[in-house]
Amino acid sequence: MADYEAIVIGAGNGGLTAAATLAQHGVRTLLLERHNVPGGCATSFCRGRFEFEVALHQLSGIGTEEKPGPLRLLLARLGVLDRLELVPMDDLYRVVIPEVIDITLKPDRDATVAALQAHFPAHKDGIAEWFDLLWGLFGEVIGAFYFKDPQVTREKYPLFHRYALQTSAAEMDRCLKDPVLKTVASAYWTYMGLPPSRLALTDMAALYFAYSEFLPYHLRGGSQALSNALAQSVLDAGGDIRFNCGVRRILVDDEGVAGVVTEAGDTIAARQVVSNVSKVATYVDLIEADRVPLAVLDELRQARIGPSAFTVYLGLDAEAADLGMTASTTFIVGDTDPDRIYARMFQREIGPRDGMLLTCYNAIDPGFSPPGTCQAALVTLKYGESWRDVPPRDYADEKYRIAADMLSAAERVFPGLRGRVEEMEIATPLTHQRYLGHPQGAIYGFDHHVKDSPLFVANRPHIRGLYGAGGWYGSGGFQPTLESGVAAARAVLRHLNRSEAR
Amino acid sequence: MKSDIARKLDGYDALMGEIAAARKYGSDFTPLRGRLQDAVARLHPHRVALRVSRVIDETPSTRTLRLVPAAGNLPPFQAGQYITLFFDLGGVRTARPYSISSAPSQTAFWEITVRRVAEGLVSNHLLDLGPGALLESSGPAGTFVFNPVIHPPQLVCIAGGSGITPFMSMIRETVQRDLPRRITLLYGNRRLDDVIFHAELNELARSAVQFDYIPVVEDPPGNYPGRRGLIDAPLIREACGTLDDKVFFVCGPQGLYDHVLPQLEAMAVPRRRLRCEIYGAPANVWEQPGWPAEVDRHARFTVTLPGGRHVEAPAAVPLIRSLEKSGWAIPSLCRSGTCSLCRLKLLSGRIFQPPGVPVRSSDRRFGYIHACVSYPLSDLEILL
Repeated sequence: MADYEAIVIGAGNGGLTAAATLAQHGVRTLLLERHNVPGGCATSFCRGRFEFEVALHQLSGIGTEEKPGPLRLLLARLGVLDRLELVPMDDLYRVVIPEVIDITLKPDRDATVAALQAHFPAHKDGIAEWFDLLWGLFGEVIGAFYFKDPQVTREKYPLFHRYALQTSAAEMDRCLKDPVLKTVASAYWTYMGLPPSRLALTDMAALYFAYSEFLPYHLRGGSQALSNALAQSVLDAGGDIRFNCGVRRILVDDEGVAGVVTEAGDTIAARQVVSNVSKVATYVDLIEADRVPLAVLDELRQARIGPSAFTVYLGLDAEAADLGMTASTTFIVGDTDPDRIYARMFQREIGPRDGMLLTCYNAIDPGFSPPGTCQAALVTLKYGESWRDVPPRDYADEKYRIAADMLSAAERVFPGLRGRVEEMEIATPLTHQRYLGHPQGAIYGFDHHVKDSPLFVANRPHIRGLYGAGGWYGSGGFQPTLESGVAAARAVLRHLNRSEAR
Repeated sequence: MKSDIARKLDGYDALMGEIAAARKYGSDFTPLRGRLQDAVARLHPHRVALRVSRVIDETPSTRTLRLVPAAGNLPPFQAGQYITLFFDLGGVRTARPYSISSAPSQTAFWEITVRRVAEGLVSNHLLDLGPGALLESSGPAGTFVFNPVIHPPQLVCIAGGSGITPFMSMIRETVQRDLPRRITLLYGNRRLDDVIFHAELNELARSAVQFDYIPVVEDPPGNYPGRRGLIDAPLIREACGTLDDKVFFVCGPQGLYDHVLPQLEAMAVPRRRLRCEIYGAPANVWEQPGWPAEVDRHARFTVTLPGGRHVEAPAAVPLIRSLEKSGWAIPSLCRSGTCSLCRLKLLSGRIFQPPGVPVRSSDRRFGYIHACVSYPLSDLEILL
C-alpha cells in the first residue's frame, strides 16, 4: 500500500507547481525539500538589514490583467496570484558599453524599434526587419505549439519551418550589421546562456516577445514570496511538505517507480514521483544503476552542463539614484563580440571585457531595502569547471579577488559603488552548486542548443511513473520551470486518470 | 508527432548529424556516481567528525578544546567563523555554536574555547571531556569576517569576555601570514583572571608590528597597571586616532553591545564599517523592547505539533529549547536568529521575537518563525 499517490522531490519552481497542481486535483501528495526553505533558486537570504533576492531578475510571461500572459494564468489557477504583489518594470533594460553607448529600452516593441532606429539611423530598415522576424517566428511557435495545431505544415508556418533549427547569428548579422547595435538588441542572450551564434533563433524570439508583450516583472518580497505562496497552496490543498528532508534513492521495481528513501533512511512508497532534482543527479545518483534505461544515458551524453554564475550581492548605504542605478536591469557589456564573451565564461577571471548584469529593484520598488539604502545583484555567467579545482584553503581569497575585479568593472558604469557597500555576499559556481545541488552549479540546467530542444529531447518518463520538472528537463528560467512543474503534474494526472478540471 | 514535425524542418539532417556526434563524443556522467557533490563537500561538509586531541586550561572558568578530524581533512574557514557542535545529552538533541579561535592557516586542527556557565547543560558536558572524546560539528559558518574588498585594512576589534575567540583567529592569521593589516584589540573583562589568552596577546603585541593590545579590566586588583573600567568612546578615540579609515568588529555578551554600539554610533561610524557578531538568544528576554507586559515571564504554554503531540513551553525560554527538551530534533546552526535553519511554521498562537531578528519578509507574512529566538506568548500550534 502506497503512503502517497505522488511524491515530489525538491521544492524548486518546478517541484512547487507540480505539488500544488497535484494536491489541488485531490492527489495525495508529499513534497520533500532538503533545505529548510522552499524555492531552490527562488529564495532570498538576509544579511544585516538587507534581504537579498537570490535569482530572479525579470519575471516573464505575466502580462496585465487586461492582457494576461501565460504565467499570470498559471499562477491564478494555482491560487497564488492574490497572494503576490507584482511590480511591472518600466524599462526592458539598459545597456552600457563603457565609452561607447548607454541606452535604455522600453518593454514595448514599437518603442524599442523607434529607439534603436533613432540611435542607428543607417540600419533603420534592418531593425524593423529583425523585429518583424522575431515576432513573426514566435507567432508561429505560439500557433503551432501553445495552441496545439494538429497540422503544422510548411504552408501555415513558413518561418517556423525555415528557422526552427537555426541559430540567431546569421539573421541578426544580415539585419542589424553594426556590432554595437547587435549588442544592444541581443543583450537578453545571457538569460539563456548561449551567444547568438549558438542560441536558437526561436529562443531569441521568445525572449524578446515575452518580455515586450507581457512586460518584465518584479515580485515584492522577492521570489521567496512566490515560493512561500506556492508552498502555502500545497498545504491548503491538503498536500504534505517536509523540509530538511533530502532524498537518497528513488526506488524502482519491475512495475516502475516504487517510492523514495530519504536521507534519514525512511522509505516512503509511491507509484508516481516527480523529480525536481537535476536530470544528472536523478539518473546517476538517485536510481540504482541497473534500473537506468540506456535511452536516458544517451540523452545525458548528448547534453552539456550549462553555465553557472558568479554573483555579488550588494547592500549599499546610498539611494539607487545616487549611485546611478536608473534602470532596474542594466547590462554592462565589455565586448561587442558575444563569442569572445562566451569564451570568457569558461575562465574564472572577471575583467572589463566581460558581460555582466546589475539588477537593482529599488529603481521600481523603493521599499525593497531600508530608507537611504539600496541593494543590487551583480552577476555574470561562468561555467562551473573553472572553480571546481580551486584548492579549498585558497577558496575564500579567490572569491574576494574575483569579486574585487568584478566591482572594478562595474564601477565604470556605477562609480563609487565599492565605497558604499555595507553588506556583501559572494556566490561562486560552487555556492550555486551547494544550494541547488546542480552539477557544476549550473543555473539553467543543460546548455540549450538547438539539438537539445524539446523537438529532439522530449521530457517523457523513461521509467514508468517518473517525471521530471525544472530547468534540466526543458528550458531554464522562472517561467519555463514554473510551467514545467504543471506539465509534469498533468502527466501524472493523466496516468492516474484524474480529471484535469478543478 | 513532434518528431514528424522536426523531420520537415530546414536543416534537419545536419542537426541529426550533430546529435549523433554529441552522443558519440559527449559527456559520460556515470563514473561520477556518488561524487557529483565532491567539490562542494570539500568546502562545506554537512557534518564533520572530530576528536578532542588536547584540553588546555585558559582561566579558572574556561578551557580550550583542540579538535582534530576523526577522518579525512578539515574544511577551510575564514577567521571569525564558527562551527556548531551537535550533542545528544540523555535524549536531548541540541547544538551550540563556537567561534574557531585557531587560525585558518592551521589546517591540522580547530580550537574552540568554552566558558563554564552555571547550570549550562552543554558547557559543563563539553568542559568535562578529555582527550579522545568524539564530537560532531557542522561545517564552518558565519559572516563575522574581514572582507578585503570593502573593509579598510585597519581593524578595531572590541571584545568582551569569551567574545575574544573569533578575534584570536583573526589576530593569529594576520600575524602568521604576515598580512598587510593592522589590528587594534580592545578587550574588556570584569576581573583580571577572566582575561583569556592574556599572555599570548601580550606576546603577540610585543612581537608583531600589525597588532596592538589594550586590555580593559572593570574590577582589577589594586596594583593593576593597565586600563580600568569599561571600553568607552574616549578610549576608542585614543586607541584609533582617526576613525574613518577603520573597520570595527564587536563581539561579546549583550552588555557589551548595549554599552559600545551607542558610542560608536555617536562617533558616526557608518554601518558599512561596523560588524557585530551574533551572540546567542538574549538573556532575560522579558526585558527586551516590545515584550508584552501582560504576559507573565513565568507563564507556561502548550505547543501542539504535527500528529497532535504536545510539548510544554515556558514563555521565557526559546521555543527550540523546549522542543529539544521534549526529544524533538530541530535543525540549527547559529542559535541566534540569523541563519534561519530552525525556521518553522506557526499555524496558530502568538510568539515574541526580539526586534531586529532577520526573518525574510515573506516568511513573516506566511507565519514562519526562527525557533531559536521565538518565545511563546500563548498556546501554539506549529508545523515542523
